[in-house]
Amino acid sequence: MAIDCEDQELLEGFLAETTELLEKLDDDLITLEKSPDDSELMNRIFRSIHTVKGASSFLGFDFLVKVTHKTEDVLNRLRKVELSLNSEIMDVVLEAVDLVKTLVADIKDGEIVERDIETVISKLIPYLSEGAGEASVLSPAASATRKEPAPAPAAEAPVTQEAALKEAAEALEEAAAAAQEPAAAKEEPAKAAPPPQPKAAAASKEPPKQPAAAKGDELADNTTVRVDVKRLDDLMNQVGELVLERNRMIQLHSDFQAGLDISGFTDDFGKLSKRLNFVTSELQMQVLKMRMLPVEKVFKKFPRIVRNLARDLGKEVDLQVFGEETELDRSVVDEIGDPLIHLIRNALDHGLETPDERLAAGKGRVGTVVLSAAHEGNQIVISIKDDGRGIDPERVSKKALDKGLVTEDQLASMGQREILELIFLPGFSTKEQTTDLSGRGVGMDVVRTNIRKLNGIIEIKNDLGHGSEFILKLPLTLAIIQSLLVEVEKEIYSIPLSSVIETLRVSTRDFHMVGGQEVLKLRDSVLPLLRLQQTFDCAHAGEDRETCYVVIVGVAEKRVGLVVSRLLGQQEVAIKSLGKFLANLPGIGGSTIMGDGRVALIVDPMGLIGGGESAGVRKSA
Amino acid sequence: MQTTALKLKSEEAGGELIQLVSFNLEKEEYGINVLMVREIIRMLNITRVPNTPHYVEGVINLRGKVIPIISLRKKFDLMEAEYDKRTRIMVMEVVGEMMGFIVDEVSEVIRISDKEIQPPPPVVSGGIEQECMAGVINQAERLLVLLDLEKMFTADERRFFSTVS
Repeated sequence: MAIDCEDQELLEGFLAETTELLEKLDDDLITLEKSPDDSELMNRIFRSIHTVKGASSFLGFDFLVKVTHKTEDVLNRLRKVELSLNSEIMDVVLEAVDLVKTLVADIKDGEIVERDIETVISKLIPYLSEGAGEASVLSPAASATRKEPAPAPAAEAPVTQEAALKEAAEALEEAAAAAQEPAAAKEEPAKAAPPPQPKAAAASKEPPKQPAAAKGDELADNTTVRVDVKRLDDLMNQVGELVLERNRMIQLHSDFQAGLDISGFTDDFGKLSKRLNFVTSELQMQVLKMRMLPVEKVFKKFPRIVRNLARDLGKEVDLQVFGEETELDRSVVDEIGDPLIHLIRNALDHGLETPDERLAAGKGRVGTVVLSAAHEGNQIVISIKDDGRGIDPERVSKKALDKGLVTEDQLASMGQREILELIFLPGFSTKEQTTDLSGRGVGMDVVRTNIRKLNGIIEIKNDLGHGSEFILKLPLTLAIIQSLLVEVEKEIYSIPLSSVIETLRVSTRDFHMVGGQEVLKLRDSVLPLLRLQQTFDCAHAGEDRETCYVVIVGVAEKRVGLVVSRLLGQQEVAIKSLGKFLANLPGIGGSTIMGDGRVALIVDPMGLIGGGESAGVRKSA
Repeated sequence: MQTTALKLKSEEAGGELIQLVSFNLEKEEYGINVLMVREIIRMLNITRVPNTPHYVEGVINLRGKVIPIISLRKKFDLMEAEYDKRTRIMVMEVVGEMMGFIVDEVSEVIRISDKEIQPPPPVVSGGIEQECMAGVINQAERLLVLLDLEKMFTADERRFFSTVS
């Protein structure tokens, strides 16, 4: 069924608002479960679902109204303390919220697919019946209905357990009948209103679509931006100033052409360019800020995921989230969701022990997972820390050997750190059996791939028996970087400042040859040198200088000195891709456009030093 | 005058009309379908890119977009020549990517009938790579080599990428 909403704007407003409410709702519900007495929170949840209901009824989305209405009723009883909150009720409410998300996602896609609404409603209904105290007794009945493979369109308020089962069985038959004859569904004498469209029949032929959590996630996509009006005003002001400066420039030019006040021109022009510089950098900051999203956008999915996982795994988990207000570029936000889910899953599945094991190890029953985000210079640092059993390097190396991912010789030469990094290899898993949670050895590979894509760094801190910590360091934005401009035989290259450790001015006499490799003695270490002129095959510009500059760059634990002719200074540059044709050049990461309109290439230290292979798990030392 | 003459002639010949941009390289005339050409610009400052095939001159900044520049002379193993004021960069979209090609001179846009295109002569020893020659157009007063850069680059890209990765 396509959506024929007359007012597209209204619909968009509804979608934006509902999506936001639903995202918040998930979080609130989980919090509510922890603190059921928080009446303020309870009221907020109630208001949210009520708002969704009101809006959907206004726009005529009857199916949405039905689900939200029943959910609201249950919540209302909870609010009035006619019902006491337990995890079964919460499960059902969460499921209902999931369904609402799915339905809203359908509306967003512009195509309403008939979904199995009744199953969820029928699960909510027991909690609405008079015997509030019996609610929990009735819940097995509800779950019986859930297990039925076909949707039960007519299951209405089962009063006792037997009745529920019987009803469910009947409902099954009815569903089958309905499948034969669409009209039958409408004439169903059962009190539960059938879905508004005869398509219900078509739907019941197919296996019922479970409101998948994944579907809910899609709602949170970032195709539209909500910007603080204040930020927009600031931007407008900046643009206003830019216009003023432009006018000033035109004025200056025409004055100059007219031959007026030639002597003052240089002065005026200098002032103008200073102001322009100021305005544009302000403008750049503003726009950059608009692209920033609080990491909360990703983090708020996790309480829900952790709750479900903990229950499935039979573990008790306390998830603590810090720094969710930390802002980062939306392109980064979009990419970190998946790796974080994998890391959290691993923390719960591999890291934390079961309550009994924890007690035996002398820890508290409840495991802790700490998820935190913070700014650190030009980077954002996200850490996932658990107080579980930690990673056992011996087990890791044994597994890697068993799976044929490494050879004994390779293992023997590996340090502790390198052994831990084996977990990132595709196909690696310490699980004996593949479960739907883990064991395929894909997860950490996904983490590595995504973080690499973002030019990020992964660090593992491990304390066997006391837990492990995964630290992700990501650039704040992918579009603009700080860089060091250097000159190599009259050609200009830009080196990302994030990998520059220090620069030196040295005499070429201090260079030594060790085993065919040019090195520089630097304090107490020996630094291998790379002459960019040779690497990049630059034409010799003719001047042999006694001294040259060495830029020390770091990739992972490696340090290399790049020999350049001159240092030109630090500049903020916007990264431009070189296009598909020149995408995979070794040592070149992209290009940027300089102030004079010329193109300068950006050096990729990882490509220069590490080669492709070891580049995956970079560490900042 | 020449163009109108050509146009008349091709209309006489019948068949579908196509428009070609004709350009010169080492005194030979080449043609390329006008639909491929995005713009024709004068020489700009080219930034050399290391570790690329010899015919890749480098990259330029085309109004904020960085595009690779290829020297057709080098590509076709012709003598290298100094750039002068007639040297042009033809910006084309080849396999979905913008690219610039340096040619000696761009002369005109001509219309021909697709019936006039003859298959390339069976053996061309040396010179232009056979693979990107789409045909020749033989007219009384001129001979045009019709190029298909798309072909040249799919083959080339493959070779280049395989050496890199």
